[in-house]
Amino acid sequence: MDNLGLQVERVTKRFGSGDTEVVAVRDVSLVVNPGEVVLIMGPSGSGKTTLLLMLGALLKPTEGSITLDGLELSAMSERKLPDVRLRHFGFIFQDFNLLSALNVLDNVAFPAELTGVSRRTAREKATAVLTELGLGHRLRFPPDKLSGGEKQRVAIARALINDPTLILADEPTANLDSSHGHETMRLLREITQKRSRSVVIVSHDARIKDIADRVLWLEDGQFMKAIEMATDPICGMAVEREGAVAGVREGETYYFCAKGCRDEFLAS
Amino acid sequence: MFRLAVSNLAQNKARLLISVGGTGLALTLVLFFGAVFTGATGRLTVYIDRAGADVWVSQAGVRTMHMSASALPATATGEVKAVPGVEEAVPILYAEDMLEAGGNQFVVYVFGVPADAPMGGPWRIADGSAVIRPGETIIDHAIAARAGVSVGDRITVLGQEMKVVGLTSGASSLVSSVTFVTMDDFARVRGGGSVISFVLVKVAPGESPGAVAARIARDVDGVTVQTRGEFATQERKLINDMSADLINIMNTAGYLTGLAVVVLTVYIATIARRKEYGVLKAIGVRNRRLYQVVVLQALMSVATGFVAGLGLTLLLTIVIPQFDELLVLSLSAGAVLRVAAISTVLAGVAALLPARQIAGLEPVAIIRRR
Ligand SMILES: Nc1ncnc2c1ncn2[C@@H]1O[C@H](COP(=O)(O)OP(=O)(O)OP(=O)(O)O)[C@@H](O)[C@H]1O
Ligand SMILES: [Mg+2]
Repeated sequence: MDNLGLQVERVTKRFGSGDTEVVAVRDVSLVVNPGEVVLIMGPSGSGKTTLLLMLGALLKPTEGSITLDGLELSAMSERKLPDVRLRHFGFIFQDFNLLSALNVLDNVAFPAELTGVSRRTAREKATAVLTELGLGHRLRFPPDKLSGGEKQRVAIARALINDPTLILADEPTANLDSSHGHETMRLLREITQKRSRSVVIVSHDARIKDIADRVLWLEDGQFMKAIEMATDPICGMAVEREGAVAGVREGETYYFCAKGCRDEFLAS
Repeated sequence: MFRLAVSNLAQNKARLLISVGGTGLALTLVLFFGAVFTGATGRLTVYIDRAGADVWVSQAGVRTMHMSASALPATATGEVKAVPGVEEAVPILYAEDMLEAGGNQFVVYVFGVPADAPMGGPWRIADGSAVIRPGETIIDHAIAARAGVSVGDRITVLGQEMKVVGLTSGASSLVSSVTFVTMDDFARVRGGGSVISFVLVKVAPGESPGAVAARIARDVDGVTVQTRGEFATQERKLINDMSADLINIMNTAGYLTGLAVVVLTVYIATIARRKEYGVLKAIGVRNRRLYQVVVLQALMSVATGFVAGLGLTLLLTIVIPQFDELLVLSLSAGAVLRVAAISTVLAGVAALLPARQIAGLEPVAIIRRR
């Protein structure tokens, strides 16, 4: 059981050497449990993308180990990696990166076909995922006829099609307006939670904090203290535990957006 | 992968058009030039093929009409005729000459044929007479049309003014034509009356030309004997050898143009999709698969270009002869297959550069763009 999910142990990534050496990620450890959504935030250049690339086996750590469902990625040979990426990871990018020549359905079915299933099965699976994401009416559209939010949902469908263990997203909301960005991430959370899949999101976008189970702050290649989130039981808003209004009932601590909610909660 | 390749190709219509159009035109150049050459070569041996002789007798060691001169004593005709299995033996005189008509000059093969000869004379007459008397000549219809000459006009053959009494058809190409005069006129112009060029032989019914040829070679001294087929083959071989360099240069130019067009368009198409290929790598597509896409795209471009080129060439072989009889075009299946095979190789070569581009692509670089 403790093998499942993602384990990052004391991972460091250095670029260059000598005077020009850059330590992009230093001695980072992290565990992401199945079904968990982790948001990594931090200033520009703090090493977020570098860390994400290592988690996705697109970049080898200089030191440390990364294990996914008991598979040690950091020790794997280059020849095996494409298959691992195909079956165990789903990538979501800032600028969607759909294949412009294929329609929505084929964009999503494509990774499934690569795993060797028949074209028909792949298309059926793709149709199901796209419908779940509310794109059932856009199957035959070329990507450039879609809105940004729709494109990102297609990208999510593509990331989900092979039912990967871990979804990795780098700035997924950067090209979306705030309401679409939030809505899209909420949808991603809903679907991955249903399937008990983990998500790691790297973002500058503080508005999506509330869809995460955990928010980590990366600075200068290291995690600062974790920001723990809680949901206000009255209004449903996501709040950072630290500094939030707290109240204890039956031995358990609850966090609120404001005194009003706490009073209402304790009175009920 | 096939679908991705097709979709990639089809997506950018302008690029597809340039690619197919460019390759098509380049391959048309190759195919068309081949057709011109095959057509002209075919016409160069038209006399050998159509004069009616089963066996050709020439001076010992002379195996072709071009690039050699055959001289036999006039008595050879009688000796040949005496060989068992020979039904007819006709002496002819032959020379390459510049014919002058209507202020134009044409390279022609002039044949001096005895009056009333059962073979060796014109085999298809388009206009006028098939019978030549002293001071008269028969030329090909295509040359007459070019020169603006018709039956009854006077032209210069072998340096003599002669009257055109008939026009043949189908005996000309851009580089050659066939002209007939009487044997006596020919002999008088050339001086030596007792020398002939070739003896044309028709074998008796039921005799094989090969066997009769062998018999003539055995019985008659100082001659080389070839069947019509052997003689024509030798002739074509000579022509091919003579023009091989030119043909090769033309073909290479055509192929290289086609190659350049395909390389450029496939390369540009790949560069334009660099990012998508990077994403595919990140998703977990192996390089080998990405190469397949590029190779398929190159192959499909070239195949479409080839079909377009073949269509255009076929159209030209039908249309052009309507306007210019001298330009005889003949597209052989062998030539088409050869061009197809070379084009396939070119597609593979064209895919190399983009494949290298893809191999060097780091998916990381795609994600970490700014
Ligand atoms: N290939 C590389 N070679 C050298 N230095 C690199 C390389 N990739 C990243 N870096 C450096 O590592 C540090 C972390 O970069 P990274 O892209 O991970 O930051 P980030 O947190 O994603 O920034 P942003 O929020 O701007 O996307 C930066 O200082 C960057 O310049
Ligand atoms: Mg980044």
